[in-house]
Amino acid sequence: MNKVVIEPVTRVEGHGKVTIHLDDEGRVKDSFFHIVEFRGFERFIQGRPYWEVPVLVQRLCGICPVSHHIAAAKAIDQLSGLDPVDLSPAATKIRRLLHYAQVFQSHALHFFYLASPDLLFGVDAPVEKRNVVAVALENKELAKKGILMRKFGQEVIRVIAGKRIHGIAAVPGGVHKHLSIEDRDYFLSGKDLPNVDTMIEWMMEVMAFIKDYHGKNAPWLDSFASYPSGHLGLVNANDGSLELYDGRLRAIDADGNRTLNDIRDVDYLQYFAEGVEPWTFLKFPYLRHLGRENGWSRVGPLARLNVCDSIGTPLAQAEFEIYKNYTGGKPNNHTMHFHWARLIEMLHCAEVMQALLHDPDILSDDILRRGERRPEGIGIVEAPRGTLIHHYQADEKGMITRCNLIVSTTHNNEPMNRAVRWVANNVLSGQPKLTDTLLNQVEIAIRAYDPCLSCATHAIGQMPLQAVLYDAAGNVLDERLKNGN
Amino acid sequence: MKTILFAIGNNARQDDGLGWAFGEALERGGLFDGEVHYRYQLEVEDSELVSNAGRVIFVDAFKGELPNGFQWDKVEPTADFEFTTHALSPQAVLFFCEQLYAKRPEAHCLLIGGEAWELGEGLTHNSTNNLLLAMEFLKEKLGIAGNKVPQPIDIEQVTAR
Repeated sequence: MNKVVIEPVTRVEGHGKVTIHLDDEGRVKDSFFHIVEFRGFERFIQGRPYWEVPVLVQRLCGICPVSHHIAAAKAIDQLSGLDPVDLSPAATKIRRLLHYAQVFQSHALHFFYLASPDLLFGVDAPVEKRNVVAVALENKELAKKGILMRKFGQEVIRVIAGKRIHGIAAVPGGVHKHLSIEDRDYFLSGKDLPNVDTMIEWMMEVMAFIKDYHGKNAPWLDSFASYPSGHLGLVNANDGSLELYDGRLRAIDADGNRTLNDIRDVDYLQYFAEGVEPWTFLKFPYLRHLGRENGWSRVGPLARLNVCDSIGTPLAQAEFEIYKNYTGGKPNNHTMHFHWARLIEMLHCAEVMQALLHDPDILSDDILRRGERRPEGIGIVEAPRGTLIHHYQADEKGMITRCNLIVSTTHNNEPMNRAVRWVANNVLSGQPKLTDTLLNQVEIAIRAYDPCLSCATHAIGQMPLQAVLYDAAGNVLDERLKNGN
Repeated sequence: MKTILFAIGNNARQDDGLGWAFGEALERGGLFDGEVHYRYQLEVEDSELVSNAGRVIFVDAFKGELPNGFQWDKVEPTADFEFTTHALSPQAVLFFCEQLYAKRPEAHCLLIGGEAWELGEGLTHNSTNNLLLAMEFLKEKLGIAGNKVPQPIDIEQVTAR
């Protein structure tokens, strides 16, 4: 049997390896998306004081550390005897502002820096053009706005957490500081930074771009790596609207039937199990009652817009209605529509940030609550790439005794494998030779989900990109080496 | 003319913290009237920051011997991109700045020799000496040297060992 190896996947932060197994006629026999690194946070967090956890676990990721910080903080609140409703309005709103800023900046990174080359230049573009450099050179205004949108989100994070990456904002029972009037005005005045109103204005321009793009490229976007699947995400506990910070877990199947009916996040363990495979370190979460084969779900923007009933901000709601109408109100199973959904979420985040920045509660010094210690805490948020679960137990001295993390990329493990298999079956199969175009389509499929494998696994340094074609005996038939050391 | 100094490195990796230690020491001196920005790595959006400066200084650790313990080099915009755009070179940041914002600030790299790169905080004795030499050099370059200028280095903070 022949074997194609692509290692690692470019513009996917972290390590990834794809193997595609061909038969003697060059047809795809099978394919796998491997995660070959081990992260180990669940083990080495044990024995640490519970209040250290939100600071330590954010080191899981340099792109979305805030999501880990917030998920851990929600869990640690419970270890401190506090549920989300027990926190002060100021603490909840400051955390929410931080989290929505994180999603905003991370989505900007994903779309403008990592995914836009795929859309702007197409799968046939030469490899030297499929990167943000080419985007910057050929689409300067888009690039400049992308940079400033990411910067806006990062600046909100910096002001609240002290640093853009790995700062500290949440503490058990609240946050460690409130915003000052000067902090708030920095984001409202527009004097030193394009203000939040400008973010919304620019997002509307980007929405016009993506809708136009979909109109012109519908056949590709509607078919590429598309397949039916379940979808999972948080929804607002009161009205089922899109929720990123705190809500109920909802899942649907490919036809829209509820498979998980708005359960409390602290009850997740009753409903979820994780499968393992010998060829990857990444687990495969699934809904227990549906089993390993049928219980897996996509997570992230596509899934969130499938499970929610509405969006709680007016401009994003209007875009959501257009988006839902495209599939006649049915679940959207088009992988390449992740990007459209992602941009609607960015617009929503900008609107939420605007509302919170005008809310006087973020200036209040009522930011901390105290409770009675508990032995267990579970925090679930919607990270940029999907549902993120942090679960901790601590002994009577407050030392962590057990930790379980299910990150977004883990949920999307099976879906990404399915996407790779789609490309293998529909694009690679029968091709006589490896080409950049073919290999890039494997990456495009993965990139639609998740440019960040590092939080699910581990990544250090720079790695080569290698594609190798083996024959049945393990001899190299064809080899492609992209940039790298 | 606004000066921006990027202190680059990882202060949890021994001498890779030279850039950050340099930035902190410079700020503690109190006479540097520019901005100091601390970075694990340079990113695309730093080009926007650079576009607002007349002069840019990138300070980073250098793995290897340098004749005076440090090296001062002029940096030009260059499309110097590696495998990933996750981390950019100073040249690439300047390239983005020139392309996107039509600005070309005067730019230099100050490389400081280090010798230990394992997990751990604090600098080695030799790298601390290199940092002191580099600091004296830059103070003179920026015109903030002289008798009335207090020694900006706090040896306890820039831990020698």
